[in-house]
Amino acid sequence: MSEKPTVAPVSDRHDEFEPKIVAFVCNWCTYLGADLAGTTRLEYPPNVRIVRLPCTGRIDFNLIIKAFEIGADSVLVSGCHPGDCHYTSGNYHARRRWILFRELLQTLGFDLERIHFTWISAAEGHKWQEVVKEITEKTRRMGPYTELYRASNTPPPPLPVRGGELNAGPLPNWGGEGEGALRETCLRLLAEDKVKVVIGYGKRGPVFVTRPEDVEKLVWNDQCLANLTVYLKRKEIRALGRPAIVVKGCDERALVVLEKESQIDRKEMHVIGMACQGMGEAKCEACEVHLPRFADEVIGEADGHPAEAGARWKSLESLLALPVAERMSYWATEFERCVKCYACRQVCPMCYCERCLVDKNRPTEIEPSATGKGNFAWHILRAFHLAGRCIGCDECTRACPAGIDLRLLNLSLAKAAEEHFAYRAGMDPKAEPLIGAYSLQDKENFIR
Amino acid sequence: MAGWIAQGKRVAGPREVKAGYVLYAPLESAAQLALEGFIHPANSVKEFIFPKHEELYGYRITGKGIELTEAEPLRAEQVLIAARPCDAAALPILDHVFNWDYKDELYNCRRQLTTIVTLACAAHDDACFCTSVGLGPAAERGSDALLLELGGGEYEVRCLTDKGKALFDGKLQASERVASLPSGPEKRFDAVEVQSFVKQNFDSPFWPAQTLACLGCGACAYTCPTCHCFDIVDEGNIERGVRARNWDSCQFGMFTLHASGHNPRPNQPARQRQRVDHKFRIYPEKFGEILCTGCGNCTRNCPEGIGVLSVLSAL
Repeated sequence: MSEKPTVAPVSDRHDEFEPKIVAFVCNWCTYLGADLAGTTRLEYPPNVRIVRLPCTGRIDFNLIIKAFEIGADSVLVSGCHPGDCHYTSGNYHARRRWILFRELLQTLGFDLERIHFTWISAAEGHKWQEVVKEITEKTRRMGPYTELYRASNTPPPPLPVRGGELNAGPLPNWGGEGEGALRETCLRLLAEDKVKVVIGYGKRGPVFVTRPEDVEKLVWNDQCLANLTVYLKRKEIRALGRPAIVVKGCDERALVVLEKESQIDRKEMHVIGMACQGMGEAKCEACEVHLPRFADEVIGEADGHPAEAGARWKSLESLLALPVAERMSYWATEFERCVKCYACRQVCPMCYCERCLVDKNRPTEIEPSATGKGNFAWHILRAFHLAGRCIGCDECTRACPAGIDLRLLNLSLAKAAEEHFAYRAGMDPKAEPLIGAYSLQDKENFIR
Repeated sequence: MAGWIAQGKRVAGPREVKAGYVLYAPLESAAQLALEGFIHPANSVKEFIFPKHEELYGYRITGKGIELTEAEPLRAEQVLIAARPCDAAALPILDHVFNWDYKDELYNCRRQLTTIVTLACAAHDDACFCTSVGLGPAAERGSDALLLELGGGEYEVRCLTDKGKALFDGKLQASERVASLPSGPEKRFDAVEVQSFVKQNFDSPFWPAQTLACLGCGACAYTCPTCHCFDIVDEGNIERGVRARNWDSCQFGMFTLHASGHNPRPNQPARQRQRVDHKFRIYPEKFGEILCTGCGNCTRNCPEGIGVLSVLSAL
């Protein structure tokens, strides 16, 4: 089993403790501001180590995590004021990312009091002096950051797996309705040579039907859990020729995102939408897309049962109700079970990189070991790369052999996207992708 | 169990780590042991002998050269309680590979310090196939002691090795009652036929047809009691670090990727074939034993319902 990260003993006398602060600053404004502070002989504490980057828009979120991992007690991220970016809009992109990233860190139980964001221009030597002084003092008062990745001895209270009182009982089983129509449709598509392969559900899992006589292999019931859109990007499946794909309303949202990201061409496939009564999964309680909206044809009718009001965030809210250290303890306990089999990544329709960052080893950015540090780094990376892109199919959670509730991380980012930007991935094909766009109105009350 | 914990032994066994989810995990008290309501924990006991991450040695780069520090030797005895017979049977099979061209001290040391108490299976599911690989619900192989349920919280204890005898020394009561042998799953395939099939059908369309749905995660290998591939990594900074071994899986594309960019196993069907080939032909040819104990974890944990059993049933 993995070892828990070692923790330095907390000094009783805080006056002995010298905070270590890492500042990630942009080359054009804040770095020059800090330089100005020096050349104008403004004194500020030597506790800050400056890491200069071209632009705040180029600050990888992993760097913030890494700084804490190697012993920073606080982190400062600083760049040009809005409108001042040397590259026109780098800081606007950064701002949007920070808004989302802060929410993820909050869910994970990071101490947000230790992460600071500021805008400091090349002329604001005084502001740099002030900010560094303040952060140093604040960190000194808070003491060293020992809670990072720490699991407390008392295990965190169990979270409701399926949204609290909704736990009452599994949804009624159903199946068979629409199965005949589905087979007929696929038979027609294959016989008329409209498609070469049908990507659908079989008794034991996904099936790829290439011959009309095999359509009997297709099923439609409450076990059709997989999000089949993940296969659209795979070489072996592409080699079979033009596909027809069976989707539920939730899976279909993946098609919207994949098309927006230029990963698929909807004209190159036939989409068969299935009206879905719910698969009995946590996501189904709050489902608003029982009926696929953009499919080439839809089989079945929505039964019109409305989504449970407020059910969407329920499990997330019980996590967020815990104190910050308990939240971290919750994740430390969960991630300890992670074996890094990467099932969460492999089943995800949005994880289509040719080579995942975690597989890069020159240099190693994410530790490949399944240890406390390596597992946190991996799950933060996975979750944040899906910010504004995750469509909530919960395949990652279903696939996890360690039973880690990964959906909570995805939910926290989905909630942030909705609250701050009124954005829901895969709902509106016309909406600009969340990351990649920005608005001058993005909230910045956390940036000094 | 409480006695073993009090003696300072590390005890691990099935534990409900969260509602409805049972894994083999360290147990801090007897109350944490889960005995009912599941067929097989979602992982295997191999991680207590061959952990997912293990530091081999530390290094420090100094001005004069490199200093190496040995990993701390293992001392704590551990007891694996209520292990499934299919998990216990995996360990003697793994002993071959860890003691073949090189004697793996870390593995052997953990193995010696571990006593395995198995509990015969009272139930099985569709994914179980121990009887197809020559084992069964009360198989004794690899166990130091085997427990058979008598009902009413009592067990027939069969001490099979000295370690098992020592563990239960003075703790047993003679009884007239004898446990009835539980029934196992039906035999699903013939392992000898599988061996000859994989030998003769390397390029058969059977493989792509059966494994097209494989997404290439390592859930099957990482929850398998017999899969044992590992990767060696250096982790550290410019001054110091550790060399460690981590589990690896033949289902990953990078597993066989050459530096040139060539990949001899270019797709999932080739990788799935390798998994079956290794278990049913390569390992038996080299060590005389099938590298599979029929626990069914690969099938249960596969998000797309593949696994050894699904593939071989199709044969």
